[in-house]
Amino acid sequence: MNAKKISWIYSASLLGILGWLGAIWLAPYLRSRGAPLGKFIYLCFSPICHQIPARSFSFVGYPLAVCARCLGIYFGFLAGMVLYPFVRGFSTVRLPKARVFLAFTAPIVVDTVANFFHLWETSNVLRLSLGFLWGSLLPFYFMTGLAELALKGIKHIE
Amino acid sequence: MNGQKPKLVGPALIGGAVAGILSGIPFVNCLCCLWIIGGAILASYLLAKDSPVNLTAGDGAIVGAFTGLFAAAIEALIAVPFQAMNVAFFQKVMERLAEFSKEMPAGWETWFKRGEAPFSIAWFFLGLVVSAAIFAALGALGGIIGMSLFGKKTPPPAPGITHETPQDTGHSQS
Repeated sequence: MNAKKISWIYSASLLGILGWLGAIWLAPYLRSRGAPLGKFIYLCFSPICHQIPARSFSFVGYPLAVCARCLGIYFGFLAGMVLYPFVRGFSTVRLPKARVFLAFTAPIVVDTVANFFHLWETSNVLRLSLGFLWGSLLPFYFMTGLAELALKGIKHIE
Repeated sequence: MNGQKPKLVGPALIGGAVAGILSGIPFVNCLCCLWIIGGAILASYLLAKDSPVNLTAGDGAIVGAFTGLFAAAIEALIAVPFQAMNVAFFQKVMERLAEFSKEMPAGWETWFKRGEAPFSIAWFFLGLVVSAAIFAALGALGGIIGMSLFGKKTPPPAPGITHETPQDTGHSQS
């Protein structure tokens, strides 16, 4: 029963990230066709991404709905979701160790802070790569949290 | 039985305020979704540090989701000055700044393109609803990460033994 619930959560999450990535690529396509929905999709992503064109990859001549770093995070999330069944399976949930989180997070934090303070300028490809690295770890947190919520409910907080 | 359960509203409000304010200001929102995740991690820390019991990843997901919701509301309010009705003023300020400053943030000219469309209540609330959903998902993720870092951990119970709450915080059980 637990495995079935976890697999349902997994399927919904996988569909979610596929839809999320689809929207990122749909926005410039719709914009190239002059469809107003494209602008709405850009608007939806604007609170969580600066969408600076110089720091974004392009599709059909228009920038994607998110920057290269964010795109890497979301692609990494998808990769992590694909790996999840092989690494964890659906019969158990367990959070990664703190040192694993720090190892995956340190590169993107260092690079982001360095760019913010103009210590160096990172290419879009490297931003994508660092985002991918960090994003690939996130499903192992996301799935664990949702699974625990579904299996155990809320007991300790109000 | 344990005492009071920690309330998530306070930590979620604090984390949401930090995330929402930093996400709404053009100068600093270049960290994208990381502000929301960071705010949720903060909320998890605040919740876990005063909790008499070990909190789970599921608890982190809930407090993180609420953090995201609060952040969405605050970010929407912070972003209002950058809507079209005020964009001309702020754009002039930035253009004057660019005349005197050698180093302007990259792509600053595009900041005000967010406000090109006329401001309307309908767009505001529609954007708020979508932001709330996105921020809640990101916040849940941040809350789970935060709980994994700051939630007290207990060893898994041996088979056949019921898990008991550890007394490691000085809170006595009545």
